[in-house]
Amino acid sequence: MAGESVGSHRRGYYLYLIPGFVGLVVIVIGPQIANFVLSFTAWKGVGTPRWVGGQNYQRLLTDDQFWGSMHNTLLYMISMTAIPVLIGIVLASLLFDYVRDQFGEKVSSFFRAAFYLPQILPLTVAGVLWGWILNPVGVANAILKTVGLGWLAQNWIGDATYALSAVSLVIVWVQVGYCLVVFMAGMSRIDPALYEAAQLDGAGWWQRLVSITIPMLAPEIFVVVLTTLIAALKVFAPVFVLTQGGPDDATLAPSYLTYYHFFTTQRVGYAAAVSTVQMILTLGLAVIFLMFQQRQAAKGA
Amino acid sequence: MAEVTVFASTPAKAVLAHAHQTRSPMRWFTLALLIALLAFTLFPFFIALLNAFKPGPDYVRGGPLSIPTYLQFDSIAKFWKDADYARKLFNSTLISVSVSVLAVGISLFNAYALGIGRVRGSAVILGILLLGTMVPQESIIYPIYWMAKTLGLYDTQLSVIIVTAVLHSAFGTYLLSSVMSTFPREILEAAEIDGASRWQTLTKVVIPIMSPTLMVLGTFFFIWTWNEFLIPVVMLVSNNNQTVAVAMGLTRGQNMSDPTLQAAAGLLGIAPTIIFFLIFQRTLTRGVIAGAVK
Amino acid sequence: MKIALSKVALVAAASLMLGTTAYAQDKTFNIWWYEGADSAQGITWTKALEELKANHPDVTVNFEQKTFDQLQQSGSMILNSAEAPDVLEYNKGNATAGLVSSQGLLTNLDDAYTAQGWDKILNEGQLVLSRYDDLGVYGSGHIWGISTYGEYVSAFYNIDAFEKAGVKVPTTLEELTAAFETFKAQGVTPLALGGASTSGQHLLASLAYTKADDTWVQNYQGLKAPLDGAPYLFAAQTLTDWLAKGYITKDSTGMNDDDASLQFTSGQSPMYVSGTWNLGNFSANIKDFKWGQFVIPTPKFSVGSTGNLWVIPKGSKNPELAKEFISLLLSTKYQTEQANNGGVSFAADPAGVTNPVGANASAVFAQIAAKQGLGFYPDWPVPGYYDVLNQKDTGLLQGTLTPEQFVDEIKQVYDDAQASQ
Repeated sequence: MAGESVGSHRRGYYLYLIPGFVGLVVIVIGPQIANFVLSFTAWKGVGTPRWVGGQNYQRLLTDDQFWGSMHNTLLYMISMTAIPVLIGIVLASLLFDYVRDQFGEKVSSFFRAAFYLPQILPLTVAGVLWGWILNPVGVANAILKTVGLGWLAQNWIGDATYALSAVSLVIVWVQVGYCLVVFMAGMSRIDPALYEAAQLDGAGWWQRLVSITIPMLAPEIFVVVLTTLIAALKVFAPVFVLTQGGPDDATLAPSYLTYYHFFTTQRVGYAAAVSTVQMILTLGLAVIFLMFQQRQAAKGA
Repeated sequence: MAEVTVFASTPAKAVLAHAHQTRSPMRWFTLALLIALLAFTLFPFFIALLNAFKPGPDYVRGGPLSIPTYLQFDSIAKFWKDADYARKLFNSTLISVSVSVLAVGISLFNAYALGIGRVRGSAVILGILLLGTMVPQESIIYPIYWMAKTLGLYDTQLSVIIVTAVLHSAFGTYLLSSVMSTFPREILEAAEIDGASRWQTLTKVVIPIMSPTLMVLGTFFFIWTWNEFLIPVVMLVSNNNQTVAVAMGLTRGQNMSDPTLQAAAGLLGIAPTIIFFLIFQRTLTRGVIAGAVK
Repeated sequence: MKIALSKVALVAAASLMLGTTAYAQDKTFNIWWYEGADSAQGITWTKALEELKANHPDVTVNFEQKTFDQLQQSGSMILNSAEAPDVLEYNKGNATAGLVSSQGLLTNLDDAYTAQGWDKILNEGQLVLSRYDDLGVYGSGHIWGISTYGEYVSAFYNIDAFEKAGVKVPTTLEELTAAFETFKAQGVTPLALGGASTSGQHLLASLAYTKADDTWVQNYQGLKAPLDGAPYLFAAQTLTDWLAKGYITKDSTGMNDDDASLQFTSGQSPMYVSGTWNLGNFSANIKDFKWGQFVIPTPKFSVGSTGNLWVIPKGSKNPELAKEFISLLLSTKYQTEQANNGGVSFAADPAGVTNPVGANASAVFAQIAAKQGLGFYPDWPVPGYYDVLNQKDTGLLQGTLTPEQFVDEIKQVYDDAQASQ
């Protein structure tokens, strides 16, 4: 590894970053700067923006809706990231390392495809269907009553006690498929000999999961955790279609708040301020996470 | 190494066969658990199917769980006609495939430089590239609208393709560069010794080995683009350019919606992606096997 | 990558071609609306457009069925571009038609109003939402759009259930409460309510209007003063009272209008308070019982208004054809046609209307309009108030807000908007 030759060798790789960077500057960074500038104005979406300085940010500090949505975001991180990742990893390992052996490739593929289906359904449609299921006179309560568990029936999406959990349930339902498919694709990279050797040593499914699958899947796990955390910070569609942030703002998320101000109240400047804060938080989280990932990768190597 | 594996596989099979007999209850318990989970996952799809062909009065009388007295195909036919669905299917397919290919390409290039090239400052570059996944779409929509209008790209599918591809490629870059950073160095070194250029290494070595992951990525992009709502609804004005996801909005009015029509629309909306996924499913399996053989 | 590039080129070429064909023909008339194809408006407008086509064989008429979402989210962006059509249906109100008119994106219809003879069909009361001032606030200023139909909120009721229970159609609030009590005593929840959507806030506003006079409604709708919460307090108290007595269920916080209307159409609840936009659905799908509608007893005001507006974008290439189309929709022929399709018409020929649903609805609307009793919708004064009312309404219904707190919270948002306008 002569430093000189490696250095010049690596420089050539920068060429491959050009398309990505041009796109990023034009589509993301430029508009994001424009959005940042807009956050210091009052604007209705057409006409000329009026400069108002830090007023939007001042307003944000005392906006209960904003703080409430930030609080809910923490809970959405659990339903977007923690639960789906855990379920995803167990399921992926079950399907890849147990079901495939026991019942064959076809059965395993079938389950994977089926668990992925919720990802395919447009969320507007999923919202309608889950609305039918979860509303107080809906399918879920009807089933509970039929099987004699009527006392368990609840006003799932209309009662602040349950609404956030109900929305979270739908999010988990959507997210598990994504985690599962990424993890299973990652498992195909793992040398089958490792599993066979472990099996010969008498390691059960659980031991193989802990000692082989999880360590080997580290790159995919990092990817899934970071992307779903980011997604949790911008969660929008499930809230939009199921509860519109209700009842009484119990399920409000920052993205729903910005959407509401961007397109409904036409307070584009204020919406830009909320989304700028949201963006900075996301960026901060991502940077911390990436630094952590780099350190882990360095340790591994 | 390979030879050892081949030999080892025979006794391993024997061990497994033995395990079948002793752990039979466990085996069926696992299957039962998976099937229960499956039933939960597929339940909303069942509800969509049940209502798409239900006559309006039946729904009005008995709600979403009632069994239809007869099957009507009017809702499906009506949505197909009202939405000019054939056209929308074509548009959505064109846009989704283009985004898939373009975004996988951009991601692959980026990841090649970051994960395999390990260029200086790759963590920072990755962080910057990741901005594409972090930005809330609503916050860039006004500037992008303005840009597209200035460039004469407003109400063109090209604008949707470019914007969506760039946004998605941020995720792709991250996924691929994470995976590529674990790419076996011996293979790369071997290619270098054989005198392969960077471009040849990418096309002849990296892409074949990465193909399962690339295909998964392509599927994600296809499906995400297919269901993308905000960007197409803002950027595509004329009906002739619009997508399936936007047409879904036809079933929702200002104050009122038609439930059986929504179910029908939902069914028509997911049918193409399911078909696509089923086709892809085979390729993926083949890709996985091919990857494992190497 | 090669594939990608050729794909992109293909798309670019395709979109260019579409672009040029659209501009190549001068005699193309582009028209949009988003009312459903089988709604009263949709059916009527389609027929009128056929007549327009027949009258102008040299013109290619290009109709596009739009969605509410699209115009709601990007209406102002479209109108601010070259892609706008020659005439379109657009949302009434300050945040939509008002905003774009104040930005000079619409054609002024002051002259057309008299020149086309629309002044002989419509009265000033039906123009309130057509006029927007320089700031885009409705009620005064130039005419920027024309509505050709009306809508109002009333109670739908199950005639069979009323007869069976021996309940008469109520004409006062007391009689309404008594009717509720009768049903309740028979173990029936009398009123279906979508607490999480439109019908929740419309019921609330209907109750508020029982305590509202002209000044209150004008102040409220015009953002003229800080909110006088008294009518809303009465409404909120009445609602919590009804909840306590079981006339409505606490579950309504988890129901949207689709769920609630299902309670009515399936015969489980004998009453449902909502707008005339339900008429088409109810006519087509209720097969098991007879149903009717009565207006919530108020001294003067009912929740309701003229419908969405026909507007002509500034860049319209065929403003004359657009005006001709609006004239067609306002003609006795198509007003009668609209009532026959179950719609609420301004100027139908009563002798020509054979559909009892449309005839009744048009007659009720005429009565409300005649006493100047259109109170409009509660969410109009403040952009985004729709969501605020829904959120606070569910808070009230689930018991996390007292009526006093409810009024405080909606007053805060209202006064904030009032002060900063």
